[in-house]
Amino acid sequence: MASSSSGLTFKLHPLVIVNISDHHTRVKSQSQPPTANGFASDATSASSNSPPLSSPRVFGCVIGVQRGRTVEIFNSFELLYDPSTHSLDRSFLEKKQELYKKVFPNFYILGWYSTSADAEESDMHIHKALMDINESPVYVLLNPSINHAQKDLPVTIYESELHVIDGIPQLIFVRSSYTIETVEAERISVDHVAHLKPSDGGSAATQLAAHLTGIHSAIKMLNSRIRVLHHYLNAMQKGEIPYENSLLRQVSSLLRRLPAIESEKFQDDFLMEYNDTLLISYLAMFTDCSSTMNDLVDKINVAFDRHSRRGGRTAFI
Amino acid sequence: MDIEQKQAEHIENFVKQASIIKGSSSALANVIVEATSHPSLFAFSEILAVPNIIELQGTEHSIYLDLLQMFAHGTWSEYKSNASNLPQLTRDQVLKLKQLTMLTLAEANKVLPYDVLMHELDVVNVRELEDFLINECMYVGIVRGKLDQLRRCFEVQFAAGRDLRPGQLGNMIHTLSDWLGTSDNLLISIQEKIKWADTMSELDKKHKKENEERLEEVKNALSLKKLQTMSRLTWTSEGTGFSLNLVE
Repeated sequence: MASSSSGLTFKLHPLVIVNISDHHTRVKSQSQPPTANGFASDATSASSNSPPLSSPRVFGCVIGVQRGRTVEIFNSFELLYDPSTHSLDRSFLEKKQELYKKVFPNFYILGWYSTSADAEESDMHIHKALMDINESPVYVLLNPSINHAQKDLPVTIYESELHVIDGIPQLIFVRSSYTIETVEAERISVDHVAHLKPSDGGSAATQLAAHLTGIHSAIKMLNSRIRVLHHYLNAMQKGEIPYENSLLRQVSSLLRRLPAIESEKFQDDFLMEYNDTLLISYLAMFTDCSSTMNDLVDKINVAFDRHSRRGGRTAFI
Repeated sequence: MDIEQKQAEHIENFVKQASIIKGSSSALANVIVEATSHPSLFAFSEILAVPNIIELQGTEHSIYLDLLQMFAHGTWSEYKSNASNLPQLTRDQVLKLKQLTMLTLAEANKVLPYDVLMHELDVVNVRELEDFLINECMYVGIVRGKLDQLRRCFEVQFAAGRDLRPGQLGNMIHTLSDWLGTSDNLLISIQEKIKWADTMSELDKKHKKENEERLEEVKNALSLKKLQTMSRLTWTSEGTGFSLNLVE
């Protein structure tokens, strides 16, 4: 597929991606009976269960704002697909559109989404059907197959363009690039999902390890970027690359910010907080120890001291 | 960095202007004066590199070349000590030179006491100094920082870069390699800490398991003992009492 030449910049919010994948997961898990019950001795039920269902395609609409050349996709909702007429449920779409208009008056229907590995010919029908709501709808495609080698998101945005193929002008899908844009609230939820702890992560060690791993990867990224800068400056000094003053100025202003925090005030505050933390953990350890001792003494009393009430002497071993 | 973006256009303009003018060195001098009074232009090394300007060296207008170099690398105090050799400065140029002096001072220290600033910038009272800092430096965007009135100092968080002297590139590379070294060490120590945390939790789990096993053993031993001592219980309880022998 050629890449788009319309010059529109697309901004995608993570909410849309989460919505689409949620829709897909729901439909997939609802259509497949739970595998635990599938191993019934009944032959008929086993046969109905055997071929793993290829994930059904889900469809829906994306809405957002278009300002000038920037198309920003904020939200999405699901639609029913009618396989007989190869079209989306129009009346439902319009009802939903009305409802969304009341809450978000700025949002327009910008296009539609679907899940599959690649765009197909039948998608063009749906695309054309939407063209009367929006002259140039966008088609957001999510690839539900998990590919661990792939580093970036399996989401592609297609636009339709009129190309002349074999003498006939036809509408074909062309890919466009997009950027992910977040609002502060979205950043919180994405962060939360990204930091899913292991389910038994109650112990301090695993939490510490997870936290340290996060810091480690952040510093690693910073490290690689500094390395690039270092290499670049070295090459500039040796003369392999012509001097670029504006860049050098920026680098020098950056380097002047190091060391980032060195004032005396910081040292004082830092040491105070460090000492406070150490004191508190010491105190907690103390309390723990003394309570354990108390328990031990109680147990020993119960075990050895049975005759103190009777006044008899017992050898307390 | 937005300062660089804002300047990029102006730099291009002036470079073009300077390269077009040939021969007439007074016109070049005018270009230099214009460039040094321009309110948003703080970078002069590109203009310095234009060959026409370099040719000014040695002609009667070479003081303008010196002036340009002063603006590229020097400070207000340097200008004052050298004022006889350099042309008079207009108000705009004076302002710009003071702003550039701020940038140089910010280069050296992160915390600038008001006294030093007042001395360097020839400003008598704190109010004027603060006005200068706020209006001319922070609103323009070349410097970002906090004014600490109690301690009478200015903490710089960000300062735009000035033109580089030839020796500075080596220093910058040195700083960068130090930074790289520090972050490498930090990465290694974080990895060690993670390993330590994992080993510690492993040891802890093992220890707990061992304790549980011993507990189980003792419980089993006790229940066996109980069967034996049950009979002895009734026989000795009236007498001298008995003691539970906790045998390990």
